[in-house]
Amino acid sequence: MSDHPTNFQGSIPDAIRDAIVAKLADARVTVAGGGGHFTIEVVSAAFQGLGRVDSQRLVYGAIAHLMAGDMAPVHAVDSLKTKTP
Amino acid sequence: MSEVHQKIAGLVAAHPVVLFMKGSRRFPQCGFSGRVVSILDQVLPGYETVNVLSDPALRDGIKAFSEWPTIPQLYVKGKFVGGADIVTEMFESGELKELLGDLAAPAAPAKAPSVTLTEAAAKAFADAKESADDVVRLTVDAQFKVDLFFDAKQADDFVVAAAGITLVVDAATARRADGIRIDFVAGENGGFRIDNPNEPPRVRPLGVVELKAMLERGEKLALFDVRTPPERAIVKIAGDVFLDEAGLAHLEGLSRDTPVAFYCHHGGRSRSAAERFLSMGFVRVYNVEGGVDAWARTVDPSLATY
Repeated sequence: MSDHPTNFQGSIPDAIRDAIVAKLADARVTVAGGGGHFTIEVVSAAFQGLGRVDSQRLVYGAIAHLMAGDMAPVHAVDSLKTKTP
Repeated sequence: MSEVHQKIAGLVAAHPVVLFMKGSRRFPQCGFSGRVVSILDQVLPGYETVNVLSDPALRDGIKAFSEWPTIPQLYVKGKFVGGADIVTEMFESGELKELLGDLAAPAAPAKAPSVTLTEAAAKAFADAKESADDVVRLTVDAQFKVDLFFDAKQADDFVVAAAGITLVVDAATARRADGIRIDFVAGENGGFRIDNPNEPPRVRPLGVVELKAMLERGEKLALFDVRTPPERAIVKIAGDVFLDEAGLAHLEGLSRDTPVAFYCHHGGRSRSAAERFLSMGFVRVYNVEGGVDAWARTVDPSLATY
């Protein structure tokens, strides 16, 4: 995967994890990847009864600030899996 | 509701299937968009695409509209379906076909296409023929690239007789070739000239000699310079329009069937511009190959080069 410039300081996977847990307290988050492209898996009871789109919206909403702008630390989420425990 | 929201809502309401993507159906400019196009191509005879790269307001607007941070985005029957990930998953599970319902009607069974050969084309084949049994195979691939060659007839082929020549086509070609016209031009830059009405609009290359001929014939053609003002100060092609804000307004006001051509220094930037205006709905879009440099070297050597 290609590299994308960012001026973000620190661990991007940690930032993704922290942002999701801040919104979905019970979430178990697995993040893999680098170079702006990430694979994310989230397990949370919050997805109960939600469709795929609404479940993913919850996660995208939590990390939206990491995906905004041309210098965003998260350029693309290659794969996002949401599951209930 | 903002202007861009209204525009998006209008697009989603007007078309049963709309894909907001980077690039066009023929030239996706991002792997994720390309993936969704190749899936939709397999299940749908036709669908609408919107190139978000053609308009920054649209690119940001669609993200807010769908509450979804990534492109591409697929809408079916007015409802947001998802991005590349979800579409791929739904395609593999069969959910996508279910969702599309009767939109995903199977392609009409192939029938023998109507093919027109000009006299010149028929003569070219007749001259090249080595035995009376030779048949010409016509193929049109998914990118609408055409090939013509002598071949043996296969069991599933359709056989078409045109101007005394026997052509064979496979079923996939038959669907893409109905109404095709094949001409032949002799000479150094000659060869077969294909006019296929089934081909989706694409940017057509336009050589500087051909451009000169078109301008001299007074053909209706709007020519646009996409370069920077300092480059334009050095040299330009007479009769063109500079694509600044006023030029853009002029272009946007043209009817979409107006032939439009774009040029730059060498033909690279103008190709991108041409692709962009193709996705805005212009159907006869030309890129001046070699740009003003080729024009100054070939057509009008009195002009400056840089």
